Amino acid sequence: MISQFFVLSLRGDNIVFRDYRGDVPKGSAEIFFRKVKFWQGEEGEEAPPVFKMDGVNYLHVKVGGLLFVATTRVNLSPALVLELLQRIARVTKDYLGILNEDSLRKNFVLVYELLDEMIDFGYPQTTSTEALKSFVFNEPVVIDAARLPSLGPAALFIQGSKRVPGTSVTKSVVANEPGGRKREEVFVDIIEKISVTFNAAGYILTSEIDGTIQMKSYLSGNPEIRVALNEDLSIGRNEYGGGFGGGVGMVILDDCNFHESVRLDDFETDHYLTLVPPDGEFPVMNYRMTQEFKPPFKVFPVIEEAGPFKAEIVLKVRADFPATVTANTVVLRVPLPKTTSRVSFEMEPGAVGQSTDFKEANKTIEWSCRKIVGGSEHTLRAKLTLTQERNANIKKEAGPISMSFTIPMFNASRLAVRYLQVVKKSKSYNPYRWVRYVTHSNSYVIRT
Amino acid sequence: MSGHDSKYFTTTKKGEIHELKEELNSQYKDKKKDAVKKVIAAMTVGKDVSMLFTDVVNCMQTENLELKKLVYLYLINYAKSHPDLAILAVNTFVKDSQDPNPLIRALAVRTMGCIRVDKITEYLCDPLQRCLKDEDPYVRKTAAVCVAKLHDINAELVEDRGFLEALKDMISDSNPMVVANAVAALAEIQEGSSKLIFEITNHTLFKLLAALNECTEWGQVFILDALSKYKAKDARDAENIVERVTPRLQHANCAVVLSAVKVILQQMELITSVDVVRNLCKKMAPPLVTLLSAEPEIQYVALRNINLIVQRRPSILAHEIKVFFCKYNDPIYVKMEKLEIMIKLASDRNIDQVLLEFKEYATEVDVDFVRKAVRAIGRCAIKLDRAAERCINVLLELIKIKVNYVVQEAIIVIKDIFRRYPNMYESIIATLCESLDTLDEPEAKASMIWIIGEYAERIDNADELLESFLESFPEEPAQVQLQLLTAAVKLFLKKPTEGPQQMIQVVLNNATQETDNPDLRDRAYVYWRLLSTDPEAAKDVVLAEKPTISDDSNMLDQSLLDDLLANIATLASVYHKPPDAFVSRTRPTQQRDEDEEYAEQDSGTGDTSAPLSEAGQVSGGYQGASPSSPLPPPGGYGAPPRATVPPSGPPPPAAAVVPDLLGDLMGLDNALVPVGPVTPATPAGPPLPVLLSAQDGQGLQICGQLIRRDGQVFYSLRFENNTQMPLDGFMIQFNKNLFGLASAGPLQVPLLQPGGSANTLLPMVLFQNVAPGPPRSVLQVAVKNNQQPVWYFEGKVQLQALFLEDGQMERSTFLETWKSLPDSHEVSKDLPNAIITNSEATLERLLKTNLFFIARRTLKDTNQEVLYLSGKVPPNVPFLVELTFLVGYPSVKCAVKTPSPEMAPLFFEAMESLLR
Repeated sequence: MISQFFVLSLRGDNIVFRDYRGDVPKGSAEIFFRKVKFWQGEEGEEAPPVFKMDGVNYLHVKVGGLLFVATTRVNLSPALVLELLQRIARVTKDYLGILNEDSLRKNFVLVYELLDEMIDFGYPQTTSTEALKSFVFNEPVVIDAARLPSLGPAALFIQGSKRVPGTSVTKSVVANEPGGRKREEVFVDIIEKISVTFNAAGYILTSEIDGTIQMKSYLSGNPEIRVALNEDLSIGRNEYGGGFGGGVGMVILDDCNFHESVRLDDFETDHYLTLVPPDGEFPVMNYRMTQEFKPPFKVFPVIEEAGPFKAEIVLKVRADFPATVTANTVVLRVPLPKTTSRVSFEMEPGAVGQSTDFKEANKTIEWSCRKIVGGSEHTLRAKLTLTQERNANIKKEAGPISMSFTIPMFNASRLAVRYLQVVKKSKSYNPYRWVRYVTHSNSYVIRT
Repeated sequence: MSGHDSKYFTTTKKGEIHELKEELNSQYKDKKKDAVKKVIAAMTVGKDVSMLFTDVVNCMQTENLELKKLVYLYLINYAKSHPDLAILAVNTFVKDSQDPNPLIRALAVRTMGCIRVDKITEYLCDPLQRCLKDEDPYVRKTAAVCVAKLHDINAELVEDRGFLEALKDMISDSNPMVVANAVAALAEIQEGSSKLIFEITNHTLFKLLAALNECTEWGQVFILDALSKYKAKDARDAENIVERVTPRLQHANCAVVLSAVKVILQQMELITSVDVVRNLCKKMAPPLVTLLSAEPEIQYVALRNINLIVQRRPSILAHEIKVFFCKYNDPIYVKMEKLEIMIKLASDRNIDQVLLEFKEYATEVDVDFVRKAVRAIGRCAIKLDRAAERCINVLLELIKIKVNYVVQEAIIVIKDIFRRYPNMYESIIATLCESLDTLDEPEAKASMIWIIGEYAERIDNADELLESFLESFPEEPAQVQLQLLTAAVKLFLKKPTEGPQQMIQVVLNNATQETDNPDLRDRAYVYWRLLSTDPEAAKDVVLAEKPTISDDSNMLDQSLLDDLLANIATLASVYHKPPDAFVSRTRPTQQRDEDEEYAEQDSGTGDTSAPLSEAGQVSGGYQGASPSSPLPPPGGYGAPPRATVPPSGPPPPAAAVVPDLLGDLMGLDNALVPVGPVTPATPAGPPLPVLLSAQDGQGLQICGQLIRRDGQVFYSLRFENNTQMPLDGFMIQFNKNLFGLASAGPLQVPLLQPGGSANTLLPMVLFQNVAPGPPRSVLQVAVKNNQQPVWYFEGKVQLQALFLEDGQMERSTFLETWKSLPDSHEVSKDLPNAIITNSEATLERLLKTNLFFIARRTLKDTNQEVLYLSGKVPPNVPFLVELTFLVGYPSVKCAVKTPSPEMAPLFFEAMESLLR
């Protein structure tokens, strides 16, 4: 099992270090960091999450701008270790409200106490925030989320990670509110990450939705909760690629899995999930869907030659979702021919909250729109100057276009929480219940 | 608690320790707690606060759990360096282990187990015994893990106190957490033991399956991994297990899913019903695909595993190729793995789709990824003959974009395609030639030159093209030079006109006289002689038909694949290397050497890139067989061409032993040594280890080991004939080995009557047939006689037989040598079974094996004695030795410094047997 666990900052500082077996030299954190920082493999310059050096196996994940690392000498299950590292990060976040270098340092005693309960002699014991509450006695020092510095370079890593932080909830599940009493509330978030690849003709080549129903409960007394999903839900794609019987309009999931607290007695028939939520944030259900859906954005790129040293790119974006919904932080990135030396932009008249940038270093243009309202259309024109006479096929040299965005209160799969019921302890008990939807882009690519 | 913990990190002031001391002894609880926190803070940033040991331990007697935990944390950290002080804490530990509060009881055993101090260990046994039977499951599950801890420190104690039995009983515990931890502990103990400790019986199987449904996700992994070692009795049994395990595929924890897949795959081997198997495959596909929705780190592990699974059961994911298409935001390590699986799943049905993807990837930014994508197209062409033409068209399109590294990569794969489909696609050569000037990578250049030479008769200006390369001949890398030489010869044989004739003169001159590369020179001479004696024969040889190549992308060596599939969901399945290649159960130092053993391969193929190495082998293997060595091997055309043998990743070290040996033995120049006249020699001393048991040798038993006598190495052997017939005509042969040991004379064994035996001393010489690669102590031997088949067996190279007589060093030389060697060359190991009861006697004994005494000293604080010795092994490798030990106590710490640290494990073995 694992020999050591440690957390490093992206600068390589040792924030937390725990040795469980004493069979790996103390300098392992340093060795690890140097190896990862200057990784030179045949397969690129990013270290894979599992590698070995001098008989020590190093496994790591990046969470919230931190490196969570485990070392071992034995042939254990790498998936177990990587899941464990993710889980440690999540539990720590549950306790501290927010996970960063500062909060870890301010709470090191609590963190060590948690680690001792989560791992014994390198064996994972329990990583449920709920269960841990009975063994852990230190109280967290919550740092003020509002005063958080921007993540800076660390933001890069958050983007790279697939599990979206999701909720904006940054309060600790154990710490009391400043006012004294805890507010009774429960959050259910339907978070979907969509991947779509369009070919040059604008047809969809592949599309996929990775979804999570995430819950974070601050309810006291652990009441039972019932989550009702769509009635027209079906699971398992048959070989003909769609539902018959239910026909068009059904929500068909390829596959899904559930948190261990979920009881599925009524799921087959009524699509209810019943559970007593443990404390902390956890995924109630993960699902995957490749059924066709309407992509929220369509992009119409036109790339044209305009003389031997000139080219022009016109990007038109159409928001194919209801006008009641607004997408945030939409960014389009277009890689340009390597010979591009200058770009001039022409925005549409009356453009608000848009910005453009030509990244000289990697020859890419970035077009950001702070907001895009459903149903609207936007256009950008970019004129390129090339240093060399362009090749026959400028289209091949520019692109593919990638797009990132967040659309709150929208989900492409149409999976829905019909209602969220908290079993009442008394008549006056009426906790706050929040159901929120959000769609993130995962890999949204328009080929040219 | 008050304020922020970070305030405890304030910088060291004068008298800080003193202040802390006072605070620790304060009568106010809060102040005490704060002080302990400060101490721990100092400890975690690496400050030495061990001098506060007594004061901190005094805080241990408290009812406050928070404070108690802090003190325990401190204890774990410092007990090792202050074993005597740690004893002070024992009483409190023992008392705590009987506390009414189960949390305190558990905490006490948990912490005691973490303190790896012998004296504490003795006191641990009684509390542990009680806690194993505790009424509270939290205490029991902690105690279960504690048994594993104790076993790690003192295995004998665990057995003597019956803790193993207690653990086994815990499998029937009512609490699933306890079951899971007991299973984990038992599995670990079993792993490190050669005895059968943990066997799943019918009864335990039932218990495990029951606990599986109820325990935590981590416990489920422990149990599933244990189940995967269970051999089902029959198909029904297997089906039964699979049925109970299948629901685990729906778990949100990827580790549970992968371990469940492992169990199912394992049991599937036994299931005979085609329907059941098909059904299971169908059930496994969606969860496997869902793993690709997890974090990229987990995706990577999943992909490496899927890579193995599709090699055995391609049908599972045959229809899912789309999910392996790369996303633009995938990390590079995920993209590379996806590409590999796409190649494996590519078929006539989906190749168009796949090619479109590859083409896109080939225009992306990341150079490594682009190159791999281009190679992938080539590999698909070789794998699917009906799609070859489409693949080539894509490659041509890519060449037209004129991105330099794409062009070069494309040319390399096209050469492979030409080899696979001769005389089909030569029409594209003209297009390739257009890019001639842009080639600057050796492999691409060599490929292009090979193409020109191979098709010289169809390229009008082949001589001009080759000419253009010739100008830089002396500066080219060897790979290109060899190709140029061969291509020039081919050109001359195909077009024996004036131009080529001049060219061949220049090349041969260059290659024979102006080069230091023996390969190039030798090959040039061979050509030269061939051409000058018999041009027709030269044609037959150089232009001979080449064996075809095949795609190896689906091929890990079968036995390796079996091995790896049995290790799905472990590190082995990620590295694609068998576990014994990177794990050894012994403690640190030895492993370092193990790893160096593989470092060599790693540098060639990339640490985690078995697939890439396969890609390399398409061209590598083929070059070995043809363009770089157009001469057929001496055996004639019938000799097996290398390229048709599907190459595999690094072969499993042990599996290939016998065939290797056979090849080496029979292929060696010096044939078997015949038996000479009988000269009985009876070696004295302890009985020799059995190398070939009478059972394995159909009645012939052979014992033997290496010994040293008067500066000469002998193989001391004993033959016993337990068969019913007389045996004679004994001959012996050694496989390549670390020191190149071989027999220096004939094996002298007389005719052995039934029941008879003979001893002999076989003189040995060194450095006759040295095994390349990492040092292994194995000595593989073959013995034959006139009556029986050839026997193969393994002995050991014992270093103690090899220490040279002139290994003595002056003290000053010793010191200088020690200092001059870098620290990385120092390796140390605890020899737990070694004991020195009398230094003088030991030194005398060591002197007899040519280990020479240098100096000694005594460590004051621990009373340990330290001896320094020197030795030397052939050819001339010094070993500087430091032995640290307590007279009369087992366990000797042995540190060596040597220019060849990779030999240290052998040295430790030798030391361990010398000090027994």
